[in-house]
Amino acid sequence: MSKKTLPFESVSRRDLLKLGVGAGVVGPLALTAGAAKAVNTNAHIVIVGAGAGGTAMANRLSRSLNGARITVIDAREKHHYQPGWTLVASGAWDKSKAISDTADWMPRSVNWVKGMVAEFDPDNNRVVLNNGQAVDYDYLIVASGLQLRYERIEGMDTRLIGQGKGIGSVYASIDAAAATNDEINRWVASGRGTGLFTLAPTAIKCAGAPLKMTFTTLSKLEATGRRDQFNVEFMTPSGGLFSQPQVHAFVRQRFTDQGVKRNDFYTLKAIDADAKKATFAVRDSEDVTRDYDFIHVVPPMTAPQALLDSPLRFQEGPFVDWMEVNRETLQNERYPNVWGIGDVMGMALNKTAASVKMQAGVLEQNILAHLQGRPLPAKHNGYTSCPLITGIGKAMLVEFGWADNMAMIPSFSFIDPMAESWTVWVMKDRMLRPAYYAMLEGKI
Amino acid sequence: MTLSGVLTVVWYSVVPWLWLLALMTIIFLVPQVIARMKGYRFTSTGGLGSKVLPPVVAVLALFLVPMHTTSSISYVNTWVDWMNLIGASVGLGIYAWLVFHPVCYLRNKKA
Repeated sequence: MSKKTLPFESVSRRDLLKLGVGAGVVGPLALTAGAAKAVNTNAHIVIVGAGAGGTAMANRLSRSLNGARITVIDAREKHHYQPGWTLVASGAWDKSKAISDTADWMPRSVNWVKGMVAEFDPDNNRVVLNNGQAVDYDYLIVASGLQLRYERIEGMDTRLIGQGKGIGSVYASIDAAAATNDEINRWVASGRGTGLFTLAPTAIKCAGAPLKMTFTTLSKLEATGRRDQFNVEFMTPSGGLFSQPQVHAFVRQRFTDQGVKRNDFYTLKAIDADAKKATFAVRDSEDVTRDYDFIHVVPPMTAPQALLDSPLRFQEGPFVDWMEVNRETLQNERYPNVWGIGDVMGMALNKTAASVKMQAGVLEQNILAHLQGRPLPAKHNGYTSCPLITGIGKAMLVEFGWADNMAMIPSFSFIDPMAESWTVWVMKDRMLRPAYYAMLEGKI
Repeated sequence: MTLSGVLTVVWYSVVPWLWLLALMTIIFLVPQVIARMKGYRFTSTGGLGSKVLPPVVAVLALFLVPMHTTSSISYVNTWVDWMNLIGASVGLGIYAWLVFHPVCYLRNKKA
């Protein structure tokens, strides 16, 4: 995947191959191609984070700005395709399919600073790295992702995942996702017992992942032919299974049909890994401790600590643990040269790669307009998407936004968002990773 | 979506299967070229194998294509699913005919 430059011209081998293979397939579309005019500026733009949002913006802005200095700050050498983690944790993918080198996606013109931001100082237009280095900026894009707060669950440690103590969690890391698959397989092979699947009391990224883990585990349990030997329960802190009302109703019915017991208003509070006991805070009731043979832990999540310690966080309201932005323009309300993208932002839904894809286009247009002194032209509509895996081999393509009580906004009119489908499974399994890579390159 | 975007998605989709596409191209071309050097045309008489095997391949594909995607035919549910699966199966059947027809022609000629 690395960009290897041919000696005789500044076109990468990958781009040439891409042109050769792709042109044969979609040659007629060439007539529709067009290139936007680049904007001249000498601004220094700092992007914090080289995940989906940061990388997409680095690629987009490096093409759409002439003369700008772009700096990306991130210590991570590996880029993870996180939408694939549920496939790893359900055994459908090897983890190598979800890992690539960060350098492969970084534009050549960008200055990549390998460090982590320890302090945001928007009053002085600078960020300070964990090694003490200060980086000044004219414009700041915060794409730092979020922080997993496993420490808020007493006794929980990510090192317990997949260690034969019945603990799994798809969120912790790619290795934890693979270890979660091992732990689920051990439980299934044991032939009996109780599995508890939890949700977090905070906003979470890929909010469909806890449901996907439940459904794929159910597939494995049903495949044993001894489903009745297993007790499966789903614990929800809020009573909600999924934010989109139709999907919530669908999952509720499917849980009933597949014998999953729901425990509403249960929040995971503590785990005793050695005793395989989980304690839940229950709304308007005493805490409840439950034995388990397998538990899927979904940690609370917040913006990274450096951002929470800064003036960039929401000062009040429901998103106080997240970065403050105008949810439509993605601009910070108090610091107009600061923008956000991705999981770090405080807004309903939208902690998915699909949201990042939509936000990147909005953010690029608005930053270019801001640089030119024009009104911000683009508005994010809250689009998010969840290819909801409802079993190993089938899925639903759920796409919705903020409008009309989170009404569906399907990209493909011929795909029913409420129908379980093999085609959607194939899309999830084979097509969405290529689309994600195209997003990283800022092409879609 | 821009042309560049489409090309990028197509490229990343095709990359894992370049080896298979190359192999299938070779398997298609070798009997075609050899048979055509000996007078073969698409309208030539093939043989029993080229009549039976392509439909068998197409029918088997109905089951094997979903299995290849870690799924099963029981999850082929919507009309889009069926269109995709039948399209893939018919395509594989046509490919099988393109391979078996010249092979059978050569066998008949040898006999």
